[in-house]
Amino acid sequence: MTRSSGHSLQARLLALVLGLATVVWLGAALMTWRDARHELDELLDGHLTQAAALLVVQQTGELEEEEHVDAPSIHKYAPRVAFQVFHEGRLVLHSAQAGVKPMAQLGNGFATVRLEDGTEWRVFAARGAQRDVQIYVGEQTASRRAILRAVLRSVLWPLVIALPLLALAGWWAVRRGLAPLRQLSQVLERRGPEALQPVTLTDLPVEMQPLVRALNALLERIAGLLEAERRFTADAAHELRTPIAAIRAQAQVALGAGEDAAGRRHALQATLAGCDRATHLVEQLLTLARLEAAPALSALPLDLSELARRVLAELAPTALARRQHLELEAASPCRVAAPEPLLAVLLRNLVDNAMRYSPDGATVRVRLSQQEAAAVLTVEDNGPGLTTADMQRLGERFYRPPGQSQAGSGLGWSIVRRIAQVSGAQIELGRAPQLGGLAVTVRWPAAAAGAG
Amino acid sequence: MRILLAEDDPMLGDGLRAGLRQQGFQVDWVRDGLAAERELASGIYAAGVLDLGLPLKDGLDVLAQLRARGATTPVLVLTARDAVPERIRGLDLGADDYVIKPVDLHELGARLRALVRRAHGQAQDSLRWGGVVLEPAARHVSWNGAPVALSMREFDLLHALMRNAGRVLTREQLEQQLYSWGHEVESNAIEVHVHHLRRKLPPELIQTVRGVGYTVPREREAT
Repeated sequence: MTRSSGHSLQARLLALVLGLATVVWLGAALMTWRDARHELDELLDGHLTQAAALLVVQQTGELEEEEHVDAPSIHKYAPRVAFQVFHEGRLVLHSAQAGVKPMAQLGNGFATVRLEDGTEWRVFAARGAQRDVQIYVGEQTASRRAILRAVLRSVLWPLVIALPLLALAGWWAVRRGLAPLRQLSQVLERRGPEALQPVTLTDLPVEMQPLVRALNALLERIAGLLEAERRFTADAAHELRTPIAAIRAQAQVALGAGEDAAGRRHALQATLAGCDRATHLVEQLLTLARLEAAPALSALPLDLSELARRVLAELAPTALARRQHLELEAASPCRVAAPEPLLAVLLRNLVDNAMRYSPDGATVRVRLSQQEAAAVLTVEDNGPGLTTADMQRLGERFYRPPGQSQAGSGLGWSIVRRIAQVSGAQIELGRAPQLGGLAVTVRWPAAAAGAG
Repeated sequence: MRILLAEDDPMLGDGLRAGLRQQGFQVDWVRDGLAAERELASGIYAAGVLDLGLPLKDGLDVLAQLRARGATTPVLVLTARDAVPERIRGLDLGADDYVIKPVDLHELGARLRALVRRAHGQAQDSLRWGGVVLEPAARHVSWNGAPVALSMREFDLLHALMRNAGRVLTREQLEQQLYSWGHEVESNAIEVHVHHLRRKLPPELIQTVRGVGYTVPREREAT
């Protein structure tokens, strides 16, 4: 419906309607003409035979006495009809227009002939039964054509007059019919670039409802995306600025500590911790950015239990510092076809989360198993777990369940989800049956598990 | 000056509290929106520093409720949300200042002092009574041009009284202004501080309203 394409729906509809009307009308005219010609021929031929029969009857017995008497012209139509009566080969009676030569061949029946003067005649020849009487009755075909033309004219004239009127009426009707379309485009044109609320038009025709519905669905999706982006920017600003603000504040406190050596030491330690935290956040953000740019990928199958052992070994010192217990239950081999670095990030984030949000002395258990060709990773803890609402929001970038004393980026879950997505895995959250805390289950179906 | 700090980030909150304390503020620290609302509504704080992304209740909601309930405590919003519409909303909802993280601690202190000053209808930073001049930013007091050495509590007490010149402050109110959470207040602490102040400054500066509290009378005309 853009104007630039120069392809007008209205013009097309109008042309179609008018074209069809013309074709139908012409067809009707053609049929009328054929019908009329047929009926006219029958009628007039009937008259010719009638006239011939009359002449045959009339001439019997009276022919010897009178010699070719000219019949009088008694009607304006008379010059177009003619007759000849021959007796024993001699012309005994004929009308004024008929020449002296027989108008057609000897015999009975109809013929269309062209006479010497160039006129075309429809002739009926008849022979008397007892005496040698030959009768020709003719009629100019031009008169028949004139009648047909008159019939045709009466059919076609209204069309010639009606067509412009029809065009005008059709233009108006089509324009009126397309009004909702024009209204929609006006409504859309008047909108500002940021107006993403659904289009609401009253009295929407049925044909346009799917279009507007689709449009509204699109608008909704765009609004959702924009909102998510806006929230991401706001959250990113918050998450990036907070550690920097903390570093700055702590550094300033250290500078202004004066003789308070313990206070300065505390502030400097906090400054360092803040730097670590900012580094972690930046790394997570970069990981996420790389992941979001990455298409779904495939790789050679690798043994997840081997990898899990390594990741747990890395995290063990942190766990020990908080007297947390890390456990690995691995039914070797547990094969997954995904790049090793990604799986390592996934494992590290899951275990790190479990440790981070469980109290000191808690247990974090990693289980690996192969279930019907699917590789299954479960990370459980005996921390406080999560509410259903929090489980749903988990994985939104920067979302952290409220009331967290632990510093986290809020990005770990987004990363885990994204890695699961690109490696074809499904994630389930639930309550750990034995430990009572959160249980995260990652399941790679047979195809992604590379069990073949 | 007693300040309420509402900040959920442990490291930033710790830094802000330490930094403001270094500048002589008494700082109480809460970490969620509900606590922030409750404490700010109590009216014992000279000002509040409010983070917006607080758990349990968003900072802007806290602010809106607080103002709806008629609490006039000056509130400085400290946030990482820097979008202009957010700032406008914050100010419209009753924030007295809006500061984007990260912030210089001294600037934060100065802004808080300015907020408190404005809340008491003062245009100037320093408070004067006769020959006594109190400069909150420098935490400096002079009498007829000569510096007067005061302890931290003495300064805070004098500051509270001079800030509220013409009003009588009860002992409880003064204690609340002087001591943040976790500080034991001895039963006669205020009397002791007043006694010291009277020795170091003109005795008629702080007057006792028997059975009620203390007051610095409104400054005489043309001093």
